[in-house]
Amino acid sequence: MNNRVNEGKNQTTIIERSSELFERYLVPPLGLLASNVYLQAIRDAFIIFTLPLIIAGSLFLVIANPPIPALQAFLQPYQEAILVPFQLSFGLMALFLAFGVAYSLAQYRRTEPVQPGILAMVLFLVASMPVRNLATMPLGEVLPYLGGQGLLVAILMGILATEVMRRFRGSRFTIRMPKSVPPNVTRAFEALVPTLLLLTIVWSLEWFISIHTYVAADHITHQLTLPILLMTVFQPLVVVQDSYPAALLEIILMMLLWSVGIHGMNVVTAIAAPFWFTTLAANATGGHGIVTEPFFHIFAHLGGSGATWPLVIYMLRSKSTQLRTVGKVALGPAIFNINEPVTFGVPMVLNPIMMLPFVFVPVVIVTINYAVFALHWVHIPIVMQPFTVPVGVSGFLATGGDIKGSILQFFDIAVSALLYYPFFKAWERVLVAREVAAPTRVEGGRVLATV
Amino acid sequence: MIHVLIVCSWGMSTSLLVESMLTAAQESKYELTVEALSAGEYAAKVETCDIVLIAPQIRHLRKSIEQLAASVEKPVAMIEPFHYATMNGQAVVEQVQHLLATPRKGKM
Repeated sequence: MNNRVNEGKNQTTIIERSSELFERYLVPPLGLLASNVYLQAIRDAFIIFTLPLIIAGSLFLVIANPPIPALQAFLQPYQEAILVPFQLSFGLMALFLAFGVAYSLAQYRRTEPVQPGILAMVLFLVASMPVRNLATMPLGEVLPYLGGQGLLVAILMGILATEVMRRFRGSRFTIRMPKSVPPNVTRAFEALVPTLLLLTIVWSLEWFISIHTYVAADHITHQLTLPILLMTVFQPLVVVQDSYPAALLEIILMMLLWSVGIHGMNVVTAIAAPFWFTTLAANATGGHGIVTEPFFHIFAHLGGSGATWPLVIYMLRSKSTQLRTVGKVALGPAIFNINEPVTFGVPMVLNPIMMLPFVFVPVVIVTINYAVFALHWVHIPIVMQPFTVPVGVSGFLATGGDIKGSILQFFDIAVSALLYYPFFKAWERVLVAREVAAPTRVEGGRVLATV
Repeated sequence: MIHVLIVCSWGMSTSLLVESMLTAAQESKYELTVEALSAGEYAAKVETCDIVLIAPQIRHLRKSIEQLAASVEKPVAMIEPFHYATMNGQAVVEQVQHLLATPRKGKM
């Protein structure tokens, strides 16, 4: 008994010391990356403003291309009609992203957000249309660049609108109103100067660009636009991002961040989302891109970041009071892929024993999934869903109705269960030894004192 | 009525904690409203609250959140990770009461 207590104490000091090292050397650089205000605004814009549209729109995509052949034949004549809501929601995501980026950034800058948002949409439209008689221009010519192919322009216009407008507010280069004028009217006039200025600049730039032409794949000469120009620069990056090394890098970064207690998915989304959604939009129109948002949220983070579903089951039957307590709380959220109880309760964060599998298990899962999708064994994810859709259902939906998507998810969970087991047992031993040394009082399921 | 802002990431897991806090507050007849929001929304709404709490998964934003809270003289604190993990609303409500009862010496 005494031996066990000592062992527990020694392990505790080693664990505390290595946690301190991680805290000192790993947290600051990762935290710096995560707290960049532009990245945060881009991430908020995707999550709050475009995600609902992408999710709703992709449902119409599935209806237009149902997984059942008989139904497909039946719906064939109506396919174009069913795709209209998809094209005007999912298909216009860049337009709404421009608003979202400007709005979110304005919130971080603590300035009025709606006017920069509207301005960003206008600038984005001006930047996306060739300068010519718009009345005779077919909509289809510009439509792709208002969606998946225009995300980069949307982000730039969003940032531009907010940053410029905020500098004009309260400066002397703005139209002043007498004090008796209501603040709403004043604000409208305040916006006038930066709006005119930016509109002129972006339109002039676009005019210059659209003097130039290019020959598209259909052998027709088109006018160049800003999004087309940027896409030729951006496209190689999209291709590079949609590769196994990039997927590996992204999952490792996500899990390293989570290992020090920072929301990893959140940070990586901010950087990778423009690529993920460009690829996803291409998949929706027949592409075969693998590394997209659902690739991580639906197929890697099973039960939450780190594929921690099996740990919840282990915890429910654990010998350690702490783990059992956490397990009970963690079960409900795990069904909806929320695992903060696991991350901070086991804890996985800054825990030298659990950090290793916490990074390594998702890496293995991503590797398996990449291979499976690359070999066309399971249909590529085309449908966007909230990450809270339970495992099993989400794999089926994400792949546009391929049951093998669900099977892959369960296979990944089995792999995770196997790999986590020895680490979980090792950590459980440490906790049990600690609990023997200093018994934890538990009343009514609530831990009153933990060491 | 005390209005608490919890700054978090996507508000998914924090909504569970909010439920638990409201139940705990109701049991002890403590008048409380709680709102979970992202760092951006927080910056726009900080004036409306009485106290700011930070969820553990965004502690990398702690410094900027604290500075903003201090500039409008609102008390601010991190939520204990284990309380967050076990969705222990009672402990967090106690933390709120404690923070509001402690007289603040100058700014943070």
